Amino acid sequence: MAALNPFMFRPGNSLLHCLDTRCKLFWVCMTSLFILNAEFIACCIFLGVLIVFIKQARIGVKDTLRQLKLFLVFLGFIFLARALTIPGDPLVFFHGFTITRQGLNQGGLVALRFFLVMVTGLVFSATTRPASLKSAAQWMLKPIPFVPEKRAAVMISLALRFFPLILQQAKETANAIDSRCGNLQKNPIKRFVRLALPLLKKTFLSADHLILAMEARCYGEDRTEPGFEPSGKERIFILGSLGFWLFLFYFQ
Amino acid sequence: MTPPLLEIRQLTHRYPDGNGGIFDINFSISKGEFIILAGKNGSGKTTLIRHLNGLLLPQKGEVRLYGQNILKDLTLTRKTVGMVFQDADTQIVGDTVFDEVAFGPENLNQPREQIKAKVVGLLERLDLIGKKDRNPATLSGGEKRRLAIAGILAMDPEIIIFDEPFANLDHPGSLSLLSTISHLNQKGQAIIMATHDVESVMNHASRMLIMDDGRLGADGSVTDLVKKLESYGVKEPCACKIAASFPWQP
Repeated sequence: MAALNPFMFRPGNSLLHCLDTRCKLFWVCMTSLFILNAEFIACCIFLGVLIVFIKQARIGVKDTLRQLKLFLVFLGFIFLARALTIPGDPLVFFHGFTITRQGLNQGGLVALRFFLVMVTGLVFSATTRPASLKSAAQWMLKPIPFVPEKRAAVMISLALRFFPLILQQAKETANAIDSRCGNLQKNPIKRFVRLALPLLKKTFLSADHLILAMEARCYGEDRTEPGFEPSGKERIFILGSLGFWLFLFYFQ
Repeated sequence: MTPPLLEIRQLTHRYPDGNGGIFDINFSISKGEFIILAGKNGSGKTTLIRHLNGLLLPQKGEVRLYGQNILKDLTLTRKTVGMVFQDADTQIVGDTVFDEVAFGPENLNQPREQIKAKVVGLLERLDLIGKKDRNPATLSGGEKRRLAIAGILAMDPEIIIFDEPFANLDHPGSLSLLSTISHLNQKGQAIIMATHDVESVMNHASRMLIMDDGRLGADGSVTDLVKKLESYGVKEPCACKIAASFPWQP
């Protein structure tokens, strides 16, 4: 049995679960754009809104943070880089580096913005059935000329389906290497090559099998059109969001 | 006698590297039959079954469905001859249990409401309805195999081919799967099962085909052929060996 990754869909009955995916996709795009320019107070308020959504959708906060630890380390680097490079009133000196008050503020704000965008995406993907996401992507791509929207939608769906499988295979391959003392190899490039080659081979083999399985079930371009099930709360949700976006815009 | 659903005539497929392949295979499958396809590793079982629903195309000979060459309508062939692959993980395409079962009918462009009713009915039948929104990756091995079967049944096939269905399954999982397969057969679906584990299924099957180095080594009833299995490199069921050791014979 595979473990769930934080971005996997979790069934539920929260507001976000009930909303039409097209509406949610629009909300995620707009909110992310506004958040990237928002000030600290606006970011904190939005964090509060996200926490309410997370609680309502029953996504485990501690588990999610644990699984996002690599991303949090990355945010830590961004924070440090900003804190050390932005000029301003010096707070701390060490080994020729100066941390400034303005740097700390800017670093904290940028890291918080990235964190909020990431969590918004996570809340969206955890409350959206991948099939609905595929349908929404197909619906949005339809008016764009020369874009094969059905094919693109299936690719999105397959990527979502196979991402956890590839992660699982990577873990199994790493375990198989370590079980034969592969962990004694300290050269990171050699370690990477040892892991990447068998993993690529396995991934391509899985892709071959997948093609056969799809062909065996008559896969083609002419498929049943996607269906959407609006809950009726979409208008109120978008109106509420519009107010919030105006608020974010005001605080920029 | 019932007219055959599927006829295989002089089927030959040679791989470019010269290894493996199948040669001059002839047999037919009638409605409601339960056939075991036995043979050692590399004997051509998988190559043969992939020809039966047009995943591989013959280099010589032909496969006929309802008396018509399958090449004339591959969609009808794949709808009529369902195939459950050995590794359920790579067969499952959907992101949720519900979507996986709906994948086939969606490909056949069936109306959305009809698909929904069909999927719910099948999930209830295979005891997966409580998991319809779950990610297939989080199911157990036996559940994944049942899900793969549900995905095939959604296309209303008349023949279902299983490639090593008991691989990687524990005993309860195998028993439950066998009961599902046997039930499908009783409802009229023809079953072809490629397996090494003849013992588990011999009581359910009516006929056995044994592959030997790419050729059809034997075709007959299970009781007639079970004694010859070891000469083709397949393990003879223990029950038969024990019965043979008794001083008295029926």
